[in-house]
Amino acid sequence: MMLAALFAFSAGLLISLSRQINGRLSLSTSPLVASFWNHVVGLALLTAIGLVIGGIFPPGAEEAPWWAYFGGPLGVIFVASGSWLIVRIGATNTALLVIGGQMVTGIVLDLLSGQKPVLWASALGVLMIISGVWISQKRN
Amino acid sequence: METPAAPRRRALPFLFAFASGGILTLMAHKNGTLGHFGGPFFASWMAHGAGTVAAILLLAVLFRRGEGKALKGRAPLWAYFGGFSGALTVIFTAKAVNSPLALSGTLALGLAGQVVFSLAADKWGLFGLAKRRLSLKDAASLGLIGLGSALIILFGRAGL
Repeated sequence: MMLAALFAFSAGLLISLSRQINGRLSLSTSPLVASFWNHVVGLALLTAIGLVIGGIFPPGAEEAPWWAYFGGPLGVIFVASGSWLIVRIGATNTALLVIGGQMVTGIVLDLLSGQKPVLWASALGVLMIISGVWISQKRN
Repeated sequence: METPAAPRRRALPFLFAFASGGILTLMAHKNGTLGHFGGPFFASWMAHGAGTVAAILLLAVLFRRGEGKALKGRAPLWAYFGGFSGALTVIFTAKAVNSPLALSGTLALGLAGQVVFSLAADKWGLFGLAKRRLSLKDAASLGLIGLGSALIILFGRAGL
């Protein structure tokens, strides 16, 4: 459990670390070029790991629907936008606003796919996030 | 959309950041579907592969339009390795999700990890980006977003 908690917390650290590093690369290139390198280098590492421990193509993988393959292209836009944002509003603002957007749209997705969120917590959470976003962009 | 006047110009990136969280939701949904069929490792590998192809196509179109005005000189070598960190994230997350923490615990601790790293990154200007001091307004807004997100992660979403 402690080890799992360490993995979960470190995953968060790594997300912000990669955004910081990609942001630096985008200063010398562009957000899209930084996103390209992020994906190529990540692909190389994952391929190397996959070749060593196996299991890149597990049985059943080919049955995934075609639209599931658009996660990668969306990721390119997401990583590029992260590099663009972090040099403009900083790491903390970027991290929290992205998480806030993820939470609110996640609830919308739940509603659209017929999963009922717990009403009091979701409504209060969305309200707090929207107020936070409202305050963040309301500058002198 | 209204045209941003000079004093409100800073508003736009904050709203873009919020919107990009929506892209993340869609991305996670699609990669989650890949993972459902082939496991998290296959999903990440395929997402990186399809992403690489998409990035090359986008660059081929946009470079002709002059995309790529650099603001700084040559990047240090380590700046090309952000993808290592991103690829490892998938493996760490998969390990945590398949533990008693489950998805909600993993997301909550991940949120904490992001907050800790980014506060440090802004304070000391880590990895070549500018130092930033959080204003009182920033802190109020970030507190609300962080607590609201934790509430949703821990108590709100049915699917988690």
